[in-house]
Amino acid sequence: MNLRSNAADEAFRREVASWLEQHLSGEFAQLRHRGGPGDEHSFVEERKAWERELARGGWTCIGWPQSHGGRGATIEQQVIFNEEYARAGGPGRIGHIGETLMGPTLIAYGSAEQQARYLPGIREGREFWCQGYSEPSAGSDLGNVKTRAELDADSGQWRINGQKVWTSWATESDYCFVIARTQPGSVGHKGLGFFMVALDQPGVTIRPIEQLTGSAEFNEVFFDDALCSAEDLIGGPEQGWQVAMALLGFERGVSTLGQQMLFQNELDQVVAAARDNGADRDPIIRQRIADAHIGLRIMRYNSMRMLAGGEDGSLSKEAMIYKLYWSSWHRNLGNLAMDVLGAEAQLLDGDGYQLSRLQGLFLYSRADTIYGGTNQIQRNLIAERALGMPREPRG
Amino acid sequence: MDFTFNQDQQMFTETLAALLAAELPADRIRQRWQSDSGIDAALAAQLVELGLPAMLVPEALGGLGLDATDFIQLAECCGRFALPEPAVEGALVAAPLLVDIIHGNPSAAPRLTALLEELMAGEAAVAVGHHLNPYVNFAGQADWFLLGHGNAVHLLPASEVAITAVKSVDPSRRLGELAWRPSAATLVADAELGAACWRATLNRGALGNAAQLLGLADAMVKQAVAYSADRQQFGKPIGVNQAVKHLLADCAVQIEFARAPVYRAAYTVAQAATRADWAVSHAKVVAGEAAQLAARNSIQVFGAMGYTWECDLQIWAKRGWVLDREWGDAGFHKNRVHEWLVQPNALIGPEYTFGRGDQPHAR
Ligand SMILES: Cc1cc2nc3c(=O)[nH]c(=O)nc-3n(C[C@H](O)[C@H](O)[C@H](O)COP(=O)(O)OP(=O)(O)OC[C@H]3O[C@@H](n4cnc5c(N)ncnc54)[C@H](O)[C@@H]3O)c2cc1C
Repeated sequence: MNLRSNAADEAFRREVASWLEQHLSGEFAQLRHRGGPGDEHSFVEERKAWERELARGGWTCIGWPQSHGGRGATIEQQVIFNEEYARAGGPGRIGHIGETLMGPTLIAYGSAEQQARYLPGIREGREFWCQGYSEPSAGSDLGNVKTRAELDADSGQWRINGQKVWTSWATESDYCFVIARTQPGSVGHKGLGFFMVALDQPGVTIRPIEQLTGSAEFNEVFFDDALCSAEDLIGGPEQGWQVAMALLGFERGVSTLGQQMLFQNELDQVVAAARDNGADRDPIIRQRIADAHIGLRIMRYNSMRMLAGGEDGSLSKEAMIYKLYWSSWHRNLGNLAMDVLGAEAQLLDGDGYQLSRLQGLFLYSRADTIYGGTNQIQRNLIAERALGMPREPRG
Repeated sequence: MDFTFNQDQQMFTETLAALLAAELPADRIRQRWQSDSGIDAALAAQLVELGLPAMLVPEALGGLGLDATDFIQLAECCGRFALPEPAVEGALVAAPLLVDIIHGNPSAAPRLTALLEELMAGEAAVAVGHHLNPYVNFAGQADWFLLGHGNAVHLLPASEVAITAVKSVDPSRRLGELAWRPSAATLVADAELGAACWRATLNRGALGNAAQLLGLADAMVKQAVAYSADRQQFGKPIGVNQAVKHLLADCAVQIEFARAPVYRAAYTVAQAATRADWAVSHAKVVAGEAAQLAARNSIQVFGAMGYTWECDLQIWAKRGWVLDREWGDAGFHKNRVHEWLVQPNALIGPEYTFGRGDQPHAR
């Protein structure tokens, strides 16, 4: 154990901070603190341009190995980058699904051709990705996916038919990774393939779904004879489940660090609001603020511990607690934000159904306990996989 | 001690429930979201016909002469159907406030009696501006305003009040921020009378919200229970999973345990609304908690569907979030309970548990 940062890390921190200070200026200055949860829809094009700006400075995908165009940054450096990014008010990262989910999956399981074809677009902030797992009848029960993929012997292309739902960011994305059934009649985890599907084609229809926040981050995605080249299947036609699960493992990995920094910004805002309106004089609010701070530090230390010691997989059980912990913490922060605002909490500003940042935090955090595995499913996993309790009968 | 409701009370509630079940399906509430006024005049008229605004007005003033225990289930029912129209406020807040002032200030009585009659007849809408509520719901639809200035109460026609519309997260509401000037001509209750009036008004307002929160909570849990039977995952209804059952069972416990304090508070308000602070605050806190838990857990049971605009659950959830903060939020009401408890002569102890109020127990 050594919790001290070394001189090289501190130099790295200064480098990140000064780069961000210089570049979050001019046309990008307006992006500071924008695009977080509840504010996903602001400045989408500008934020895509910002991704390219980051890429030009070599600040996308810093954790990827150098052989794939990353910096091979250490965990400590990735933490530092995320901290400084949050401190500078860097905007919500549109490229994060590609950078933290698709990229690492390609690096681990993709062929050299696939890597060469798709990694540069992600790294350069040119191509954006979304996740096509859930379907109307496959939510918690992801193995119930019904979307079909058939290989057309003549053209050598896969034809995809079916429907995905709750696909975040589909309207802003270029590609979707889709799990689909390659074996007719197969059930559960068997007979699934993992496809990288271009969204800009006649066989794909995207329909936004309005959320209770009034915005539409997620979508329905319909595939009607959508085409996917045989080269765009990762793993074999029956290895989709393994690939899909490995990808979820990355979701619980380094990608959580950026999120924690965002949480820190939100907590700071809640504290500032409490100072502003005097709610910080209320002893109950003070205690809840302290609790929130404690919870955030717990997450921080815990993920440092997981990430630093996790490479050999020895802490994989411990890693299972993370989603449940942060989603519950964030939901409570949303409640706290509303209680700090008091009567003001219900007011909307501006035209349409425009939420303030703290309202967005409150409403958006209602979904945190649902996506990426609901809290109930997380508890089942902790009990059955980490603690080894008898399994509940499924299906 | 008897917590049961009599047959008349039950029948009144059933009549209202039948009316709202017929006239207020969720899509009608959504239609109101598109309209400027946010009010369905036909339904508002039917509520007047049922006698809602006259319920708590003494017979001598042309009302039905009932009290808060008669009204409490109706307020709950309004919450259950997420009624957007301000019927609870009209009956439990505006009308009784007029009555209090009529009783306390004979010189204003004739004017206010006439207004009260119009209110009961559904010919005038009266909005009440209490300092705890910086925004007045349906201010734009009000003909008259009863407003606080310090402790004094002023009565102003809509023409003398400047309203800035502000939007609520609950699209069923039509909030306004008010600007107005008090004058000798608008004064209807001086600071001494007004202090008592506002105290009673706050208790009635908070009681009305507590009852509506209960109804909202109940309705959300019912929707989630129904969904848990319909929605299949892993080849069976999601409701078979204990994790899902427990989410809703927890709500049921909270709701039931909030119900008795709410009815208890109604009784205290009926006896003496100015001395009901602790009972009302208790009710408001626990009903608010029940509604918050019900919103949270019901959304959870619906999964991603519960997070959509299309899912009707949001109608109830958002109302609950808003009503929980109106007429004093949880912090305000917990503080009132706390203040009451730490008084040197606080009437606490087993002999006060069951409604002896402030009469010392005879031993
Ligand atoms: C904001 C948001 C963004 C999303 N983005 C994406 C995306 O980009 N791509 C994508 O593929 N998906 C996405 N999703 C979908 C998400 O992954 C699913 O919502 C999630 O897996 C739950 O599925 P469901 O909504 O169908 O709920 P259901 O599975 O129907 O669950 C309903 C309720 O039943 C409970 N339940 C179900 N089964 C069990 C069980 N066996 N034991 C105990 N409890 C159980 C659940 O916990 C939940 O409370 C998103 C969802 C949201 C809300």
